[in-house]
Amino acid sequence: MAQALGQPNSPVVEMRDITKRFGPVLANDRVSLDLWPGEIHAVLGENGAGKTTLMNVLAGMYQPDSGTIRIAGEPVRLDSPAAALRRGIGAVYQHFTLVPNLSILENVALGAEGGFVLDLAPAEAKVASMLADFGLDVSPRTEIRHLALGQRQRVEIIKVLLRGGRVLLLDEPTSVLTPGEVQSLLDLLRRLRDQGVAVVLITHKLGEALAVSDRVTILRAGRNAGDLGPDVMSGADRESVRARIIAQMFGSSPAAETDDSSMDHLPSVIPTPPRVIPTKEESRRPSRRRPEEPRFLADARHDRGAPAAARDEPTSETLLSLRNISTLGDRGAPALHDLSLDLLRGEVFGIAGVDGNGQKELGEVIAGQRPVTSGRVLLEGADITNRGVAAATRLGIGYVTDDRLHEGSVAESSVADNVALKSIGRKPFSNGFWLNRRAMEQQARRLIAEFDVKTPGPHTPIGMLSGGNIQKLLLARELALEPKVLVCNKPTTGLDLRTTQFVIRSLREQANAGNVVVLIASELDELIEISDRIGVMYSGQLVAVMPRAEADPETLGHLMLGGARRPRKASA
Amino acid sequence: MTIGGIPLAGFLTAMLAAGLVAAAPLVLAALGEAVGERSGLLNLGIEGMMLSGAFFGFTAAYLTGSAVWGVLAGIAAGSLLGTLFAVLTVSLRVDQVLVGLAITIFGAGLTAFLYRDVFGGQNPSLSLDTSRIAIPGLSQIPIIGDAMFNQSLLFYIAFALVPVFAFVLARTRFGLQVRAVGAYPFAADAAGVNVTRIRYQAALIAGAMAGVAGAFLSVADLKIFQIGMTVGTGFIALALTMVGGWNPYRILLAAILFGLLRSLGNGLQIIGVNVRTEFITMLPYIGIMVALALLAGKTSLPAALGVPYARGRR
Repeated sequence: MAQALGQPNSPVVEMRDITKRFGPVLANDRVSLDLWPGEIHAVLGENGAGKTTLMNVLAGMYQPDSGTIRIAGEPVRLDSPAAALRRGIGAVYQHFTLVPNLSILENVALGAEGGFVLDLAPAEAKVASMLADFGLDVSPRTEIRHLALGQRQRVEIIKVLLRGGRVLLLDEPTSVLTPGEVQSLLDLLRRLRDQGVAVVLITHKLGEALAVSDRVTILRAGRNAGDLGPDVMSGADRESVRARIIAQMFGSSPAAETDDSSMDHLPSVIPTPPRVIPTKEESRRPSRRRPEEPRFLADARHDRGAPAAARDEPTSETLLSLRNISTLGDRGAPALHDLSLDLLRGEVFGIAGVDGNGQKELGEVIAGQRPVTSGRVLLEGADITNRGVAAATRLGIGYVTDDRLHEGSVAESSVADNVALKSIGRKPFSNGFWLNRRAMEQQARRLIAEFDVKTPGPHTPIGMLSGGNIQKLLLARELALEPKVLVCNKPTTGLDLRTTQFVIRSLREQANAGNVVVLIASELDELIEISDRIGVMYSGQLVAVMPRAEADPETLGHLMLGGARRPRKASA
Repeated sequence: MTIGGIPLAGFLTAMLAAGLVAAAPLVLAALGEAVGERSGLLNLGIEGMMLSGAFFGFTAAYLTGSAVWGVLAGIAAGSLLGTLFAVLTVSLRVDQVLVGLAITIFGAGLTAFLYRDVFGGQNPSLSLDTSRIAIPGLSQIPIIGDAMFNQSLLFYIAFALVPVFAFVLARTRFGLQVRAVGAYPFAADAAGVNVTRIRYQAALIAGAMAGVAGAFLSVADLKIFQIGMTVGTGFIALALTMVGGWNPYRILLAAILFGLLRSLGNGLQIIGVNVRTEFITMLPYIGIMVALALLAGKTSLPAALGVPYARGRR
């Protein structure tokens, strides 16, 4: 417990070579992390870098496949959150662990030791004083559901501290907060640090990490990619620290390149073809692109030969406009804030951003799947705001979700049923009442052949197919509807190289035919390869829009983490 | 003053007594169900558990000549099925609706088979002395005295359990954990509550209460067993749990209203009101449906009702 976490001169927690695998995914690959009392330790990394998994291991939610955890020098097994709490480790998750219909007091008492009859009176005074101390002007008897997200977060922290927590893990704590709340949270964390608590701040927001951290650990693709100690963090040169962190998170510094398992197969498979159509911009600045950068989208580039000329001077004809769009996310927090965007015919518009900054919500708004709270959506000048998915589909807007197996398809249903699903009530699949099984099967066979889907047949449940083949079918389903606007959310995640190329080529062709493709992607290299323009989202806003020629991973990464636009980049 | 040839006071007393006796097993079963549902377990096996409680309670009482053994056997039978329900739904994460219906069908089949097998086509009745206990003083109150305070011990226990359950749910650590587990098991788990253990305990309570409710029917009230004798009482208790919003006092109120409607139906028949019997026996059920319809959207189900919990899966 607390007293065991004593000496400030040795780490309270030592995690060594933690490996955690989920099926085929290696979430943590020999990750090590030391936590010291009285320090704020930021764990930085892109989505999927393994930050949350590491935290769950330490909080007792997951069991590591291998590796050791020592607390105050003593090896421990944290086989449940309760065990972790007994050792003084408490977590505040992104999804709060407060029961909404219980009071603050009851939530704090939940799981605490004590007799059969619940005597809340002694705890009440303590909770009340903590609440006051944390700037919360509410009674301990208030039910959680009446609190705002920022207030709930404080209750979470109070809960951990009252249970004797000396190591406080916070997973993306600022993602639900307003800017003002962020400031006061960071102040609060500083106070806890001064009281000797080891605070772990898991975040992808570099600004916050730089503002409060004494130590930074960077994870990338499930591995340690860098460590910055207090000596560096307290150093005067913020800009160089920032640059170093960005390079370790996104860039291709030599160390990171050999480390990056998600990329290392690419250069070896794909030869480096000469650039086929250098744009004016690129030929002017040849040095902007590193020679060793994998040209893994060579095929896609070949294919877009003819319209490429048009790409440089887009037919400035707007197809879809978003005007001052605001909307809420699934948890009721604002997800998009006053966002405006014009999408032009014939362009692939790439959207970069760290997950949870509104990209998904933006895609869903365009698809008609998420109502906006204010603002307008115009398709070819006609107002289609909040008309719903069915109307959007009819008007020629397609959407491929990143959640292939749940949102995108009915896993237990056949390939044919899934292919027909989006237009099941219309000809030729239906005459209004009876389904036309033969038409559905024909369509499925046609798309299977056209998109080279590996499946035993159209009657196989779609859930039996591999992710890449499901992705192809979902894309095929949308394309068969001949949409004018197609939104794809991470269409290449988890796909092999060939399928990735195929998907990219299909999207490029779709744009070349004069349509709009909105591509939300996390692979920056890929995004830069295919997009005509790239927008960066941060905190529910498009913080920058630039033509492809001005985009490189470092610039985008900087903007994605909430960095200011560098002056030399001009807006598109 | 008489009504249909019966003294009015006597008629009212009989109505009230019959209503309360009908309500008692509903209260017992619904209290257990409330704990189960509060923990996230929807027990559609309640009917089968009641039938089993009724049969094993009756058989034990018949063999031993003791009502106490009968009731204990009923509790044991219900607890056993409650545990089976927990093993299947909590540990193995089988769908709660399927398991519940299976237990209901199993209970009906098993008791029918065993009753025929054990009693060989005879229909014995218990000759034991579950004497009514008259509460001194209170039982002398006109009209309600004899109905409320001159009943069997189990009758008093049933109603006495209402405040006990209310206290346990609202004011004890176990109750708090039950409520948390049913509303947001992930949060409960993170706080160090053993979700599996709490749900097993809740299932055990739900099963035991259904069992004792069944034993009330066969041992305390009718003193006979009939194949399928619960005729949907378990499902009524399930509905009352929801009508009562998982609150023991409101469940009590709903159960008494239901019981009174039912005895009123019988009363109307006795005094010869010229309405078809089918319509009269429908009354309480229509009442339940109206209540459920009125409450639709106003009650908030325990959020995790029917959802199995596995750590690391959200």
